[in-house]
Amino acid sequence: MSKGDKILDVKNISMQFNSKGVCVRAVTDVSFPVYEGETIGIVGESGCGKTTLGRCIVRAYEPTAGCVEYTASDGLLLDFLKIDKQTMKKYRKEIQMIFQDPYSSLDPRMTVLDIIKEPILANYPKMPKAEVERRVMDIAAKVGLNTTYLKRYPHAFSGGQRQRIGIARALVLNPRVIVCDEAVSALDVSIQAQVINLLHDLQQEFGLTYLFISHDLSVVEYISDKVGVMYLGKMVEFAPTKKLFEHPMHPYTESLLSAVPVADPTVQMERIPLEGEIPNPANPPSGCYFHTRCRFCTEKCKAEAPAYVELEPEHFVACHRAEELKLRGFSYE
Amino acid sequence: MNDTIIEIKDLKINIKIDEGTLTAVRGVDFEIKKGETLGLVGESGCGKSLTSKAILGINDKKCKAEGEIIFDADNLGKVNLLSLNPRGKEIRSVRGKQISMIFQEPMVAFSPMYTIGNQINEATLLHITKDKKKAKEISLEVMRKVGIANAEKRYDQYPHEFSGGMLQRALIAMALVCNPKLLIADEPTTALDVTIQAQILELMKELQKDFGMSILFITHDLGTVAKMCDRVAVMYLGRIVESAPAVEIYKNPQHPYTQGLIGSVHKIGTKNQDRLFSIEGTVPLALNLPAGCGFYDRCHKRIEGVCNVYDPSLVDVGDDHKIACFACTGCPNAKEGQGHE
Repeated sequence: MSKGDKILDVKNISMQFNSKGVCVRAVTDVSFPVYEGETIGIVGESGCGKTTLGRCIVRAYEPTAGCVEYTASDGLLLDFLKIDKQTMKKYRKEIQMIFQDPYSSLDPRMTVLDIIKEPILANYPKMPKAEVERRVMDIAAKVGLNTTYLKRYPHAFSGGQRQRIGIARALVLNPRVIVCDEAVSALDVSIQAQVINLLHDLQQEFGLTYLFISHDLSVVEYISDKVGVMYLGKMVEFAPTKKLFEHPMHPYTESLLSAVPVADPTVQMERIPLEGEIPNPANPPSGCYFHTRCRFCTEKCKAEAPAYVELEPEHFVACHRAEELKLRGFSYE
Repeated sequence: MNDTIIEIKDLKINIKIDEGTLTAVRGVDFEIKKGETLGLVGESGCGKSLTSKAILGINDKKCKAEGEIIFDADNLGKVNLLSLNPRGKEIRSVRGKQISMIFQEPMVAFSPMYTIGNQINEATLLHITKDKKKAKEISLEVMRKVGIANAEKRYDQYPHEFSGGMLQRALIAMALVCNPKLLIADEPTTALDVTIQAQILELMKELQKDFGMSILFITHDLGTVAKMCDRVAVMYLGRIVESAPAVEIYKNPQHPYTQGLIGSVHKIGTKNQDRLFSIEGTVPLALNLPAGCGFYDRCHKRIEGVCNVYDPSLVDVGDDHKIACFACTGCPNAKEGQGHE
């Protein structure tokens, strides 16, 4: 596990969407630190706000509250969400994003060359053409694209190849942090393995920091150093990967882990069922958001929202009863 | 007891496209026994969905199927479904009643214009009873069975009022309403969250026990296959390359493609190897395929002069384990001496 200095400090991020007088709290008060060179996995069911969180961190949305403290490459400490346009332009290239769907995230009317080139043209308009071309070729080769095909349009490429184009586009500006939003979810298993290996190699080579958002717990367990679990817009647990998978401390994490299908028919894990459905985020339950589906629910849970605290070193959890519960996780070899 | 309910023999599907004829399914053989779940595993484009749709005769007109699909029908006896007129009365008595299908995306499978109850009723009215009141009763009963709470209210709701998981339950209710002998589930849980996925899979298992049906479970997710299936057939480029009982295929995968597929899925709790095993390259387009094994270009066990010349067929290596690979079962000359089992 590589660990450098703190590169991002996400503090109390909240994001509300208002539509037709209804206020939906997509993300509520999420905080976690990110160290240079590590991979943070963010998991949760659809609608839990993990994509919104990722978009807030790259400032694709303007969060309603909170800040993202970013230690820039030149050592400056900035609040990424408050800096003005001019400064933003300077530092935005250091935080990039890879999108979920390799089919809709590439413009069908641009050649692959133009797609990968666009970030350079936007950020370094005065760079000589030959230099731009050289950079594109370099990065395309690095992510495993055949450079003779770069004049083609995205439709001529398969899903895995397209995801590589998306990765090349994110990498071409030499970013330090990459937010990967379900970057491998749309791919077939064998291609998924290729892309995960690629992300791993690139991290080794460039010392990248990943924020890896996914609903696939096996992939997250493989790739991440630390994992955060989200439920209904809140971070309910955050810990180093092995700790979280072996000894979860939040009942929601426990149920989530027990539902993971294991690719081995001799292993039959007993599932801990979740009652009911995920509540409407426009009208969240009182107290602990999870109390409506929790099997350990008490009166206190219904009335009072638990604080998000560091119960063990590096292990954060938001549950009143976390200390007394003995929850089940995966057993490691 | 263990009689065969459906047997597919040498199924080939050709698709006419502008560039020529694309052979999407190139000779598939398998059978499903009563009460059994067969997992058909493969990556996108390997022909698994085409195969399942050929069983129901609902493929596009451009697709031409050859071979035999022998189904043990209640009213027709053993019948080759491919020989029936795809718009005729006979196949209609099978389709939707004796064989039904759960589609991949519940959001797309339902029409947004009709209520859920209305759409579940459709099959009942066609196959079981003409009485609308009775049909409603049957539908409500099945809806309760698949775990839709408040069935009376839900019956009159439209698909957009359902969540993804609930809609998938409704889709299962629609498929089960006529008590089919064979259920084809085409990626039934791919679009769902893990918690909902686990619920739906458990539900399908329970219902299988209640109804005693067979399931053809189509997926690319090896995790769900391990949970659901008795037997697994791995498909690559329109061929079955390996088939075996589920426990056997995870413990002792033989074909390099199967090994690659299983190796490329990380198992939680195992030591983190530095890299995931990955199969090089991508699935080639099934247009003008070269001679020899379809997996030749991506295979790490390929034997030059053998694998790119001869096309391997499934060979039984014992214990119901069949493999189509020269590197595993010996070269073609030796194999010809053995004959096919």
